[in-house]
Amino acid sequence: MQVGYLETPSLWIIGALIAYAVAYYFYAKWVDEHIWEVSESRTTPAHMYLDGVEYFPVSRYVLYGFQFKSIAALGPILGPFIAVAYGWIPALLWIIIGNFFIGWVQDYSTIMLTARNEGRSMGPLVYNAIGERGRKILLGYLLFYLLIISAVFIYLVSLFWNVFPGSFIATIGIIITGLIAGELLYKYKTNIFGVTAFAIILTLISVGIGTAVAWPPKNVFGPWSLQVWSVIFAIILFIGAIAPLPKFITPMNFVAVFPAIGGVILIILGALFSPLGGIKVLQPGFKGWYIENVGPLFPILFISIACGAISGWHSLVSTSTTGKQLDVETDARPVGAGAMLTEGLLATSALAAYMVVSPSLIAKGKIAAFVNGATLLSSFYLGGKASMAYLSTFFAIFLVIYAITVQALVTRYWRVFSTELFKGPWSWLGDKYIATFVGLLLPIIFALTGSWINLWIYFGGSNQLLAGMALILVAFYVAKMRKPSWYAAWPAGFMTIVTLAALLWETYSFGLSTFGLAPIKAKPPLTQYPAAAWSLNALFFIIGIILFVLGLYMSYALWSAYMKARKGEIEAKEIST
Amino acid sequence: MINIPLFSRKDKRKTKDKGGISEAAKGVLYGFAVHGAATAALKTRMHMEHLFMLMTLGDMLGFPIIPPYYSLKILPYVVPNIKSWKQRLFRERDFTDMLSG
Repeated sequence: MQVGYLETPSLWIIGALIAYAVAYYFYAKWVDEHIWEVSESRTTPAHMYLDGVEYFPVSRYVLYGFQFKSIAALGPILGPFIAVAYGWIPALLWIIIGNFFIGWVQDYSTIMLTARNEGRSMGPLVYNAIGERGRKILLGYLLFYLLIISAVFIYLVSLFWNVFPGSFIATIGIIITGLIAGELLYKYKTNIFGVTAFAIILTLISVGIGTAVAWPPKNVFGPWSLQVWSVIFAIILFIGAIAPLPKFITPMNFVAVFPAIGGVILIILGALFSPLGGIKVLQPGFKGWYIENVGPLFPILFISIACGAISGWHSLVSTSTTGKQLDVETDARPVGAGAMLTEGLLATSALAAYMVVSPSLIAKGKIAAFVNGATLLSSFYLGGKASMAYLSTFFAIFLVIYAITVQALVTRYWRVFSTELFKGPWSWLGDKYIATFVGLLLPIIFALTGSWINLWIYFGGSNQLLAGMALILVAFYVAKMRKPSWYAAWPAGFMTIVTLAALLWETYSFGLSTFGLAPIKAKPPLTQYPAAAWSLNALFFIIGIILFVLGLYMSYALWSAYMKARKGEIEAKEIST
Repeated sequence: MINIPLFSRKDKRKTKDKGGISEAAKGVLYGFAVHGAATAALKTRMHMEHLFMLMTLGDMLGFPIIPPYYSLKILPYVVPNIKSWKQRLFRERDFTDMLSG
C-alpha cells in the first residue's frame, strides 16, 4: 500500500538530509576556511608528538568511524521520545536547527582546539582558560554527570529486559559471544574475519533464541522486577568495569558494533522508504507548550534530545582522542562535522520511529515505543508480519547493547575518576572494587524512583551544559586568535541559558515534591514507602542544586575569560600560530 | 618501533594514493569496530612497557629493582624505546585524557 509522501516521515527525513548537507558543504566549510583557516601543511599533534600510543596520525575514514561510534549512543534514539511529547514538529525543528547551528560546531571546533593546542584534552584546556579551580570543579561536575548517566542507562536496560521477554536471554547470548570473541582474538590470535563472521552469526542466533524462548515474562520478579533487573545489570557492569579491557569491554564493543550498524541502517532505510510500506505519521504535529510530568517546552525540549542535536559528551571524545590523532587539519570537518551530522540523521530517523506509533503509547510514557516504531518501519521490507517478533527482539537488543557498551565504559571512567579525585584519608574511595561498587550502588538508588523522565532531564541538562561550556571554551580560544567568535559564542550562550534553566526547573520541581507542595515523584513499588520516596526526592533536589551551582560557576568563569579574550586583555598566543 | 595500521594520508602521499570507495568503507568499518580496541590495547602495552623500563632502568632513576648485571643484559633491547618512553612518561596526563582508555 502506497501513501503520499507528506503523510509519512520520509519527506521530513529527506528535508533533514538536505539541511545537513547545506550545513556541511557551506556553513562548516566557511568556518573551516575563514575562521580556523585550516591548512594541510600545519603540523598536527599526531605528527608532532608521534608516540604510536596516544598520538599517531589516523586516516579521516577511520577517525570518522571511530568518532561516530564513540558519540552515538542512546541519546539520539531515546531523547526524541520526550521531545515528541510536545509534538513531532518542535522535535524535528530542534534536531535540524540544533545540528545545523550548534551540534557540528562543538564537535568540529573541539577537535580543532586540541589540534591547535598541542593535543590538550578538555581538563588542560579549561585549566588554561580559568585555572586550577575550574579544572577541579569540572572534575566534580563530571563525577555527578557520570552518576546521572549511569542511573538513566541502568534504569532503561532494566526496563527493556522487563518489557521485552527474551531480550535478557539474547543479551546474555551476545555477552557470551563477546567473551568468546575476545578469547579468540586476543588469546588464540584467530583471524579477524573469521571472528567477525562468528560474532555476527552468534549474535543473530542469540536474538533468534531470545525471540523463540520469549522468557522470562514481564514482571517476573513481581512488583520489584525493575529493581531486581537493575541489580543483575549492575553485577554484569561490575565484572565489566573491573575486568581488563580486552576481557570484557573491548570484545563486547566489537560484537555490539554489528547489530548497532545494522539497526541504524534498518531505521534510516525504513524512514526513507516509508511511503512504500504505507506507514503514516500518527503523532500530532504540535501538542502544546506545557506537558504534564515533562514540563514546559522551553527549556525541556532543548535538553531532551541529547546527542541527536548537541552533546557535551562529544567534546570529551573529540579532545581526549580524536584531536590527538588528526592526520591533517583539513580532516577535522569530515570527522567532527561529518560524524555529528550523521548522528543528526540517526536522531531524525529515531524520531520517525516515534512519529509512526500510536499517540497513546507516547502519552502513557511508554519508552518502549521506539521498538514498536522501529519494527514497524523495517518490517514492511523485511518479510512483513512474519518478521515482526524477531525484529522486535532485535531492536530491544539494539538498545540494550548500546546501553551496555556505553555504561560499562562510564562505570570504568567513574572508577578512574574516583582514583584521581580521592586522595589522602579518602583514598580508599578510589580503590578499584569500592569505587566500582559505589559507582553502581548510587545510580541504582537513583533509579529506584522509577521516574526515568526526571532522570533523563537531569542527564540531558548536565550533558548539554557541558556542551555549552565546551562552546564557550571554543569561543574563548577563537577570540584569542583574534578571529570572529560569534559562530561559537551565540550557540554557547543559548545552550548555557537553556540548560541552566532546565536544571533549575527540574530542581524546582523536585523541591516542590520535597517540601510537600507537589506529589512525590515516584512510581510503584516505591510509592508504598513514602519515607524512602521522599528521601530520594530530597536527594535529587540536592543533586539538582549541586549541578546547577557547579554549572553556573563554570559557565560564569569561562564566559568571563571569553569576554576578557574578546577585549584583548588576554595575550594572543598558542593557537594563532 | 611503531607497527600499527595508520591509514595516514600523509604517509600515503609518499607512495600512491589509492583512494576509492572500498578504502573509505574499510577505514570507516575499522574505525567503527576496531580502532578503539586497538588504541586501548596500545595503552595497555604502554603501561606494561613503562613497568618494564622502570625495572630495567630503575638504577638510573634511583630505584634499584633488579641487579645491574641483568639490566645490562636487557639494555640492548630497551635502548630503541627510551626516546618514546621518556616522551610518554613525562607528558602530563589529565583525568579527561583517561577517557580514551
